Amino acid sequence: MTHIRIPTPLRPYTAGLREIEVDGKTVRDILQEVTSKYPSIQPHLYDDEGNLRAYVNIFINEEDIRNLSGHETPVEENDKLMIVPSIAGGSDESEILPFVDHAALRANQVSIIAFLLIAFVADLPLISSIIASIMLLGTLTKKPGFLPIYRALRWIGIVKPDRLRDYSEPHQFAQGFGAVVLFLAAGTFFFELPIVGWTLVGVVIFLAGLNLLLGFCVGCAVYYWFNRLGLPFFQRAAPIDRTPGSRPTREKAI
Amino acid sequence: MISLAPGILNEIQRHAENAYPEEGAGVLIGKEQGGNRVVDRVLPLTNNFEVELRNRRYMITPQDMINAEEFADEMGLEIIGIYHSHPDHPAQPSDFDHEQALPWYSYIITSVNQKTAAESRSWRLTEERIFVEEKLLLE
Repeated sequence: MTHIRIPTPLRPYTAGLREIEVDGKTVRDILQEVTSKYPSIQPHLYDDEGNLRAYVNIFINEEDIRNLSGHETPVEENDKLMIVPSIAGGSDESEILPFVDHAALRANQVSIIAFLLIAFVADLPLISSIIASIMLLGTLTKKPGFLPIYRALRWIGIVKPDRLRDYSEPHQFAQGFGAVVLFLAAGTFFFELPIVGWTLVGVVIFLAGLNLLLGFCVGCAVYYWFNRLGLPFFQRAAPIDRTPGSRPTREKAI
Repeated sequence: MISLAPGILNEIQRHAENAYPEEGAGVLIGKEQGGNRVVDRVLPLTNNFEVELRNRRYMITPQDMINAEEFADEMGLEIIGIYHSHPDHPAQPSDFDHEQALPWYSYIITSVNQKTAAESRSWRLTEERIFVEEKLLLE
């Protein structure tokens, strides 16, 4: 006879017994014996295809049978078998993520990069300050700063919306972060440190380019990192189905 | 109906706050008599989900469950449920909670708003696998 321990959630199906005694040479024999003695436990141990349910673990002398020979693991007379539940859960918000139009974000990035390059080539630091103001205004109004350009492109029919399940707040934060870097650049231009100023402009071009070409938003990753640290105003936690800061995959779009 | 012995709710909520921004989880230990459940002890356990996702997920290892069962046995009690926290989310089961839930157990969920425990509610699966709220009393 082998003793098999039943966890509390399955005891209603074994007449309230915490331990039952069955005969068998392998784990399979033992479990078959259990389900023939107590048929109502069957659907709680196995799914419709006859596989052990994900939340059911079988341990033999405190070793998971998945690390032994599975159902074929031999059972000795004095072995102790245990049915151990897997416990997991957690809040899940992936189903309620709002839509964010990533085409509008890309139009914003292209605009920022293009105008900053013009500013650099024409050596007109003032342009980068104007771009910074547009970006800051965008963040304050919770929109991409160059949204009018995107709307114009859509009106002409050059671009199409690309609505993906995402949060907009991290993107607004990233844009605001870019604006702050450009204002810092403006400060350095004012103090006649053009190399530092153009380097900062270069950082913004690089970050916007990274997002545009590789779909990675550094500002968003920083935002989610601040959220993890529990800072106020960073209310959104990283969506669970992707690396924080990376663009949602198209399959996730609904 | 599930009732909590004095201090138990406080222990659950402090664990939820200390785990923030991650989810904190543990087991409810007590007795069931005639359909009424009493939680006499809680055993805080480690959240073993992948580190990056612990703010949205929790997992208790089978080994921790075995130890918890032995702990309950020693006191002549049993595991009657699981508690966990929902950082910045309501104290109600998510789809993922529902997917993973076992019958019979009481699931106490505590919502934590920006580091402060807000509300604790208890839920149980019916035979049809529907989560229904069960009355939570403080002794």
